[in-house]
Amino acid sequence: MTENADLANVPEATHVPKKRARVPVVWIIPIVAALVGAGIVVQQYLNEGPTIRISFRTAEGIEPGKTFIKYKDVDIGKVTKVVLSKDFSKVIVTAKMEKHAQGLLVDDSRFWTVKPRVTLSGVSGLGTLLSGNYIGVEPGKSGKSHRDFAGLEVPPPITGGMSGREFTLRASTLGSLGIGSPIYYRRLNVGQVIGYALAPDGTSFDVRIFLDTPYDGYVTSDTRFWESSGIRATMGAGGLSLETESVLSILIGGIRFETPPSATAGIPAPEKSVFTLFDNRDAAMAPPVAESERYVLYFQESLRGLSVGAPVTLLGLPIGEVTEISLDYVPETQGVRTRVEVMTFQYRVHRQLGKTDVIAAKAMSREDRKKFMQRLVEEKGLRAQLRTGSLISGQLYVALDYFPDTPKARIDWAKEPPQFPVVPGKMENIELQLKSILAKLEKIPVEEIGNDLRKTLETLDNTLQSADRTLTRVDEETLPEAKKTLEDLRRAIAAAERVLSNTDNTLLGPDAPAQQELRDALQEIARSARAIRLLADTLERNPESLLRGKTKETP
Amino acid sequence: MTAVARTGMREGFVSCDACGLLSRPAGAEEPGECPRCGEELEFRRRDAIQRTWALVAAAAICYLPANILPVMRTTTLTSEAPDTIISGVVYLYMSGSWYLALILLIASVMIPLAKLAALVFLLVTVQRGSDRNNRERARLYRVLEIIGRWSMVDVFVATFVVALIQLRPLMSVAPEPGVLFFSAVVILTIFAAESFDPRLIWDSSQGKQERDD
Repeated sequence: MTENADLANVPEATHVPKKRARVPVVWIIPIVAALVGAGIVVQQYLNEGPTIRISFRTAEGIEPGKTFIKYKDVDIGKVTKVVLSKDFSKVIVTAKMEKHAQGLLVDDSRFWTVKPRVTLSGVSGLGTLLSGNYIGVEPGKSGKSHRDFAGLEVPPPITGGMSGREFTLRASTLGSLGIGSPIYYRRLNVGQVIGYALAPDGTSFDVRIFLDTPYDGYVTSDTRFWESSGIRATMGAGGLSLETESVLSILIGGIRFETPPSATAGIPAPEKSVFTLFDNRDAAMAPPVAESERYVLYFQESLRGLSVGAPVTLLGLPIGEVTEISLDYVPETQGVRTRVEVMTFQYRVHRQLGKTDVIAAKAMSREDRKKFMQRLVEEKGLRAQLRTGSLISGQLYVALDYFPDTPKARIDWAKEPPQFPVVPGKMENIELQLKSILAKLEKIPVEEIGNDLRKTLETLDNTLQSADRTLTRVDEETLPEAKKTLEDLRRAIAAAERVLSNTDNTLLGPDAPAQQELRDALQEIARSARAIRLLADTLERNPESLLRGKTKETP
Repeated sequence: MTAVARTGMREGFVSCDACGLLSRPAGAEEPGECPRCGEELEFRRRDAIQRTWALVAAAAICYLPANILPVMRTTTLTSEAPDTIISGVVYLYMSGSWYLALILLIASVMIPLAKLAALVFLLVTVQRGSDRNNRERARLYRVLEIIGRWSMVDVFVATFVVALIQLRPLMSVAPEPGVLFFSAVVILTIFAAESFDPRLIWDSSQGKQERDD
């Protein structure tokens, strides 16, 4: 009965709607699983970066699955395959890039292998010793996406991440410059050479340099660049001057730059401006011709030792240099004279002035400067003079100095270049002094002195003769007497000898009484010594005898 | 075809899942609690087929990423390599440890798959009301229950390796999403096996009989 009742209950079950209601709850699990799975698939798909191909000359250090492509030390891709190109001349490296790096893969992006590299200017890529080589990338600026690249063999010296500016220097020769050569500003390394190319006409080099921020701001349109390769020794009137850079630049060369103080405070030069690369600092810093004054000097003396480039000093401070040495034909005398052309640089004068004066001097116009010089010459007696810079080398230089005692002169502005008054050089002075000494010497009455001398000598002769005579007399009269005296002396000595030998016999002879007595005394002493020895022996054998007295001799 | 189509439910009894006591249900709708141990009584596990299906489906979905995604990432000085289960098997085989490769292959790839297949087979046969090979199916279910947890060994090993090998920068191992999916597969199949009610195997013949009636 109960069975039937139970069976009857089965169709009545009301669980069915509940089951339906529970269905979605249970099925949430697979739905979530499916969603997560799908999410991962979608994410994978979305993260799928592009595949690129880079061609290299060799695949040195590149391994599929192990070599990464890095930008700013962030992995942005991984080499998946390394194969040879169809003509076997190159290696094609296939790399899977990260999705986020897509923007880096443009037309002018560059790829290279980063490996440990030791150059004179430094060591780079040491990290790759441990991590293995990787491929570096420098993103291009183009907006066009690209997938096939040609890899560089040498890493580019600068990467896009560096801020700074590029300039071009035009040089006549490359000197010892190379890619990576340092650029110094006040001896601080502020940039490097990033490339060079021969100009199309083959007459000059265009050297591309890169200056790091903020140093690029020091380059204005007036800035001068010069090559400071290694050591430069110059022997001039200023003596031996040795100019060196840091050891590094001695080894690998370098470029220095500076803005002349005379330059107007310029605005920073625009990117890629072209500058001239000078051979040395002097050439670089030489001001434009407009800022210089030229004078011609006619010296009376020899110009041997004066060379082009010799300094011109004002009160001992360099303000210019000799630019030309030549001979002039002088129609009036139908002869020739030496002609020295010098150039003085305003800025060098400025450099020697105090700070406040510089501003005033800068404001000077050309006419002002002329008047200024004129006044110095006419009122103070400023003259040009040749001087010896170095006694050893005999180099001459031109000194502008005050000679207040010299006759009045003026700058001859009529000539072009104007003629500057000169005074004889110091060497010339010495000659004059010598001459005056000689003249004085000439005035000395040598003949009279000679006659006097002769007379004196004659007198001396007479004196000597009389002395001779005196001596002869001495010979004849005094000597025999002396001989006699000597003989007497000899006899006296013989007598003394005899007396002495007698004395000998009393004291020293074998039978001399003194001897006999001495011998006796000595024998006595010997006996006493023997007795003491006996006593010592006895005491040694019978020490008690000291206390008890001598024991009886035992038979 | 078996005459032994008698089940407790059909006879109006309900057996306790916990202590196995056979008792009369308190009511047809709600069988009540076990008079001996207090366990809530059920004629059959609730929504067994639906739940099992859902869990099996979830496990099957997770099985794909578990095998495709890397389970761990090994970073050494020179390289960084993600490893999937299959790549681990291949690596072990290539390096000569074919027995280890076999263990890994069986424990991590084949057993989860076999479990899924077995569950699906059981579900399908139960739903179709098949009454053949009942004993074999029951044995299959028992094997399924026993074997299920052993797949967790894989997850266990991965966890150990990740925790122990942290010798930066020489070598380190980091977990990857694959291992999550793999453990999800294992856990879901364990739950699926648990939610399946083997008594349904015997019900089917009854159901058939009922339909035959």
